[in-house]
Amino acid sequence: MAMNVADLDLRGVSDGIARGEFSSVEATEAYLGRIAQHDHVLRSYITVTADLALAQAKDADAEIARSRRRGPLHGVPIALKDLIAVAGVKMTGGSRVLADHVPTRDAFVTRRLKEAGAVLLGKLAMHEFAFGRPVIAGAFPTGRNPWDVQRSPAGSSSGSAVAAAAGLCAGALGSDTGGSIRGPASMTALVGHKPTYGLVSRSGVLPLSWSLDHVGPMTRGVWDSAVLLQAIAGADPDDTSTRGATTQNYVEHLDDGARGLRLGLLKRYYVDFPGLNDEVRAAAFTAFDVLRKEGATITDVDAPSLDLAMPAWAPIMSEAYEYHAETLRATPEKFGEGLRTRVYFTALFTAQDVQRAQRLRARIGREVDSLLSEVDALIFPGQAMPAMRFEDFPTTGFAPASIRYTAPWNLLGLPAVVVPSGFTRDGLPVSIQIVGRRFDDATVLRIARAYERVTDWHRRRPDPTRWRV
Amino acid sequence: MKSTDDRNAQFEAECRTAGLTLGARDAELLYAMWLEWLPERERLRTAAPAPEDEPWR
Repeated sequence: MAMNVADLDLRGVSDGIARGEFSSVEATEAYLGRIAQHDHVLRSYITVTADLALAQAKDADAEIARSRRRGPLHGVPIALKDLIAVAGVKMTGGSRVLADHVPTRDAFVTRRLKEAGAVLLGKLAMHEFAFGRPVIAGAFPTGRNPWDVQRSPAGSSSGSAVAAAAGLCAGALGSDTGGSIRGPASMTALVGHKPTYGLVSRSGVLPLSWSLDHVGPMTRGVWDSAVLLQAIAGADPDDTSTRGATTQNYVEHLDDGARGLRLGLLKRYYVDFPGLNDEVRAAAFTAFDVLRKEGATITDVDAPSLDLAMPAWAPIMSEAYEYHAETLRATPEKFGEGLRTRVYFTALFTAQDVQRAQRLRARIGREVDSLLSEVDALIFPGQAMPAMRFEDFPTTGFAPASIRYTAPWNLLGLPAVVVPSGFTRDGLPVSIQIVGRRFDDATVLRIARAYERVTDWHRRRPDPTRWRV
Repeated sequence: MKSTDDRNAQFEAECRTAGLTLGARDAELLYAMWLEWLPERERLRTAAPAPEDEPWR
């Protein structure tokens, strides 16, 4: 192969296979070689499924050779957060509790990806049960940020971000309950898409908080995420939240541009927030100017009840306590300290707190729906700050400055995508975020693509020569 | 404003109500997190829901 597969985005890999520039087996071997070379530092994989991947790649090449290419994911090597089940492959949830757990059935999204012909490279590191803290040692390290290996990629889909950003897979799936796709994507210069709640099935995916959990793509480009979403979206009888799933063609209108779109900037809640890093703010304003030049109109909008989003989000996270309580009582020592603290914390909310939170959730939803009847999407900076050093992570708490930018959209279940919008002076990625109407994921992807196609942040790659500890 | 002793007593009472039996280290970390979040919880508890604020309406 003349080109380095690891430098390509998913589209580049897909096109390369389709044009016969390299085979799926060659692409798979290239990723496996890179994993062998670099993942002892980056620690993005918990399990590498090399034999499975090579067998799938061989089958893909054979089918494609018979002119039976299934679609854009056929033969493309991808990887999954280690809470998404693959039959016969260990699924740990990043926890000693499930260290030897091997599911017997594929998750719905795994089945869909197999049907699309994707090749599975392995299972990716994560914060324990999607709720623990970043760790660099022990049985389940959560991964190092390829833009600065002394920093965390954030979480909880940390391995998904690291592997996709570092070229250890062509794209990945993560999950997002308070920002676990969009946070890590922002920290690693990826596109991260939390789809509309109920668009992508959670069956076969370990729950954290079922009314807030979303499964979605993390990739180098917007097209890549659109193609992955196309494969995994749709109703699943095993997940009743998907009963009303309304799918769209996520690729067809990607390049329609931003002309004529009305965007609402949530200035008071997000841009004026004192905890917003100055460089992130400046990069976001520059990005919004780009969208204006591309023909979008941007007006300041506000939903005053967003101030209640974080107070409402935390009590609903007590769904995590309900899920873990019995195991925690029986074998607390098997959980990490960070996970235990956070889960115990959610147990301290009262029944009235939880019901109050549900009522406020409804109020915030009404206000935001009203905004979205006047604009096509909401925009704001993707995160409060760039990637943090491991030692700077607080021992307790939810990092409220960061989840403020993401968790409200889990509460409302609206589609939300982050797209790279620059780098700090220290070379750390920053992003903007776009939130749209329920089941209108196509529009948020179109806006992200309108920005991406006239900028080149998504083409930058981290430097492997700096992956040393 | 409550004293530290009052806060400790409140925290311990809430842990008992929730049925949590914690070791010293877990209790220390949880107390720190609980204390940090108290202002947010106060905002939740003082937010007055309107009659139309119903989850499934």
